[in-house]
Amino acid sequence: MLKFFLWLRYLRKKKIVFLSIAAVALVVSLLIVVASLFTAFISVFEQSAVKAMGDVVLEPPMRFAKYPLLIERLEQIGAVEAATGVVSAQGLLHLGKGNVRAVSVRGIEPGRQAKVTGFQESLIKQSKSLGGASFEVPGFPERVGGFVSIGVMTKPDEKTDEYDFAAVEKMIGRQVVLTTGTVSKEQFRRKVIQFGIADVVFTGVYELDKSFVYLPIEELQKKLYPDEDGQMANQVQIKLANGVGTDATLAQIRGVWSDFADKQLKWSPYLINQTTIMTAKELQSRYVTELRKQMRILLFIFGVVDCSVVLLIICIFYMIVRLKQRDIAIIKSCGATSGSVCYIFVAFGFCVGIAGSFLGALFGYVVTRNINTIEECIRIVFGLKLWKSSVYMFSKIPNEVNWAWALVIVLIAIGAAVVGTLIPAIIAARTKPVEILRYE
Amino acid sequence: MYKIILSIRYLVKRRIAYFAVLAVALCVFIVVVVMTVMTGLVSDFKQKNHRFVGDCVVGTESLVGFAYYEDFVKKLEQEDIIEGVSAVIKSYALVSPFGTERNLGIEIMGIEPVRHSRATGFGQTLYHHKDDVSRAFEQTYDPNQAGCVIGIELVLSRDSEGRYGYDSDPTGLGLAISCFPLTAKGALAKVGAGLVNTKTFYYSDNSHSGLARVDGSMIYLPFEEAQILCGMDGPVKRANVIHIKFKPKVKLETGYERVASLWRSFREEKADHRHADLLEKVTVQSWGNYRRSSIAAMEKEQTMMTVMFALVGLTTVFIVFVVTYMIISHKSKDIGILKSIGVSNANVMLLFLSFAFLVGFLGSAIGTVGGWRFLVHINGIEKWLYEKFEYQPLWDREIFAIGDIPNTIDLKVLGVIILSAIGACLAGALLPCRQAAKQKPVETLQVSQL
Repeated sequence: MLKFFLWLRYLRKKKIVFLSIAAVALVVSLLIVVASLFTAFISVFEQSAVKAMGDVVLEPPMRFAKYPLLIERLEQIGAVEAATGVVSAQGLLHLGKGNVRAVSVRGIEPGRQAKVTGFQESLIKQSKSLGGASFEVPGFPERVGGFVSIGVMTKPDEKTDEYDFAAVEKMIGRQVVLTTGTVSKEQFRRKVIQFGIADVVFTGVYELDKSFVYLPIEELQKKLYPDEDGQMANQVQIKLANGVGTDATLAQIRGVWSDFADKQLKWSPYLINQTTIMTAKELQSRYVTELRKQMRILLFIFGVVDCSVVLLIICIFYMIVRLKQRDIAIIKSCGATSGSVCYIFVAFGFCVGIAGSFLGALFGYVVTRNINTIEECIRIVFGLKLWKSSVYMFSKIPNEVNWAWALVIVLIAIGAAVVGTLIPAIIAARTKPVEILRYE
Repeated sequence: MYKIILSIRYLVKRRIAYFAVLAVALCVFIVVVVMTVMTGLVSDFKQKNHRFVGDCVVGTESLVGFAYYEDFVKKLEQEDIIEGVSAVIKSYALVSPFGTERNLGIEIMGIEPVRHSRATGFGQTLYHHKDDVSRAFEQTYDPNQAGCVIGIELVLSRDSEGRYGYDSDPTGLGLAISCFPLTAKGALAKVGAGLVNTKTFYYSDNSHSGLARVDGSMIYLPFEEAQILCGMDGPVKRANVIHIKFKPKVKLETGYERVASLWRSFREEKADHRHADLLEKVTVQSWGNYRRSSIAAMEKEQTMMTVMFALVGLTTVFIVFVVTYMIISHKSKDIGILKSIGVSNANVMLLFLSFAFLVGFLGSAIGTVGGWRFLVHINGIEKWLYEKFEYQPLWDREIFAIGDIPNTIDLKVLGVIILSAIGACLAGALLPCRQAAKQKPVETLQVSQL
């Protein structure tokens, strides 16, 4: 009770203690914001791969035929929810007068693609269509239709980093020309495809929005591989059922693929083994590792600088101890042990740590959740656009608070506050009442 | 004199002041290290962009390009401020390497290598023909075909230390390059005849500009070949961009103003010519503005980092505040005596501000020396970590096109850091100093207070 009374009294009388609480709060909030923004960025980065390719990607070293049969077999595995074949190529898209863009072309089945990747949600016009995504060009049902990523058609505004959706929608229905090709017997065979824009794709991920054009898979394989028998694909994208173990499922998928490639395609074991079967997250793992490394470095740098908070707490508590020597002497003369005097200050430091961390966590939460609004305010007030999708991939700053990191930071902050009070607490414990309380 | 003696005495005798010095040193150390690395990266990136672009650019973003570029080049060459001028074709192309099933959609740049090397740092980016740029497009594989210079990231890969596996001679890599030829009005030039132009080129050299996006997406072709591929070789020839380099003594601003005024008069001259409308879209930009979108991102990151350090640096202000406050509260008798012998309020304030200045100065000195020593060894430490633990703490050199960690301290940046640290100490000491100045000797020196 005495300790509690003294803490309250020091807090009331020594306003400088609030300074240490403020410093702890500042540091905790800063670290929580940095850790949360980084981990949210990494998580959205990984999710963007799943959004683009599904959970698992099967990519052989060369294109292969009879892919519908492979998909049928894959879907027989309980752990596979859906799968779809993709034909990919590179090309040049002529969008209008003097407007040519280098693009990545994907031949897809929109219905299946939507099941595997949630592709339909990214279509500006058809995202809520109950009939599913379709390549039918509005007003021109006889034309070959295709989807074009928003970044191919226009650039985001320099100041706001937002696309002009109204202008883009007006381009739906327009006829455009795509040039792509295949290499056969060391000869490049050029293919020209004219198609109407059926819809525009906006995923919010710059890399995906920058350069993709989607065409019906049959149309693309007919143009690219007119002499090939059977339906061709370069890649199979797979969505796994919820809660299945990745390793076991990958092994099952590899088994199905080996059997298919051996019996249906008559491929050699070498070619079969050259096939990449990986989760979309694994494909991103090198970059994720680098991002995590950068996060750790940043946290380390701020962690080192934040050691000054420990010094601040030492100074403030040292000051309190020096100013309250008479209190300490009286407590000791009443029979309190050095340990309990020490405990008063260490526990007080603990309370400062808890109060500062709580405030810091709260502030960190508010800042992280509202980081997009803050960024927008900075743009309006200072004219400085800090976040650009062309630099940081996503159109919005990922703003999920990482509570695991927040907890670690809070615990470290409390520990640091306790460490900061140790020296002053020891000095207080060593106070001799006879020296402090003597008359002269 | 007494101010210096007393402030040094307080600094040496009061051990609590050591904590303030330590806090300042810690902050200065980290800020010096981080800012040196960041400033090094940013200035290196800027230099590479400057080398890639030259000093000034006259051009248009439209792939149609603009006419009469040859006349303007001649006009520029008559100016005595100009060191080099290079007209360039820029477009997108579909590239198919022989022996693979891959197609790549990439950027092409049509250049005259000698001219381009005079206007930019292109010649220095080559590996095989660095000493004789005129032979940049010479290849030995097929004498009937033209050569091409390929961005290094497209042909070679980096090892874990960021080194490229250079070949002794360019391999016989053939590329089929296809472009959309466009008319001066921007329409497709070959409607009904295949729509695209295709030509084969052989790999003659690689270019390492140090700009990852350029090195990973650019192929350089002979100017005339690129002009034909893009349909810019009609009766009125077109180009997309003119790169300009000024003579060494010419200031960038002066040169830029001169080129802009030349361009205005040139445009007026050609106003009644055919395709004069294309000249309206042409802009004159300094190299910095031309590459603004790439450079701005790095500069913003540096600014954000500075703001974050400033926030964290607030704790140093708090520490100095607490320490000065403590010293003043313990030295009230000194203050009383000083004031009773006639020292003014301002001088008492100055005495404790000198103390804060000393804290800032000493902390900055220790932090700077520590930061400097750390930076001197930073690459060695990183190398040692990699050799011992296979751990690269900053960048995986196989992924990031960054060489050594920049470790040259920028004196301007260092000056700003030291001044900020001293300023922070003075700011932290201001309130306690004011209190000290307000103390009345009659109160502090009365017997009951002694």
